[in-house]
Amino acid sequence: MTHASVFRGNHKCTTMRTPLASRCYSHAKVETDEEFDARWVTYFSKPDIDAWELKKGMNTLIGYDLVPEPKILDSALRACRRLNDLASAIRILEAVKDKSGPHKDIYPYLIQELQPTLIELGISTPEDLGMDKL
Amino acid sequence: MSLAKPAMRGLLGKRLRFHLPIAFALSLVAAAAFKYGVTEPRKQAYADFYKQYDTTKEFNNMRDAGVFESVRPTGE
Repeated sequence: MTHASVFRGNHKCTTMRTPLASRCYSHAKVETDEEFDARWVTYFSKPDIDAWELKKGMNTLIGYDLVPEPKILDSALRACRRLNDLASAIRILEAVKDKSGPHKDIYPYLIQELQPTLIELGISTPEDLGMDKL
Repeated sequence: MSLAKPAMRGLLGKRLRFHLPIAFALSLVAAAAFKYGVTEPRKQAYADFYKQYDTTKEFNNMRDAGVFESVRPTGE
């Protein structure tokens, strides 16, 4: 699985935002954002996913130059539910908030999109638990 | 009132594409400023000092001050 190339901007790709898994000199097929998202949703949707695969998947995903889409996070949270891992579910929320960096509008949007899932699965946000304060 | 979807991909890349050229340029400016503000004047000061330096006269001054071991002051 190819990892993110941070410098997607060079002479060919400076104006358009190229998809994540692309190198400008390779003849490999460029994966679109939708394909990338679908691949990760599928990864976390594995019914018998194990704890290692969940952690590995999340760590790999967090290593990319992007904040995961709500549908990927939804799939990951459901995997946590199957594994009875509430701690990881809340940690995922903390991780995406951190991934947003200075862009404070991303996390509220994600919580808004994930609200039905959070309610269904009974996941508290770090803010609910007072864990966002030092 | 639901929130609009913000940009979520390539944020670091965008930041680096913006800041790294500036950082590189500022580093070059800092290096140039140090070179022409500090090192070149310093080199010039040394050059100016030694342009009019009379080695024999200074040697004899040092000799008479008694700082050498290899030659005694004149007249001893």
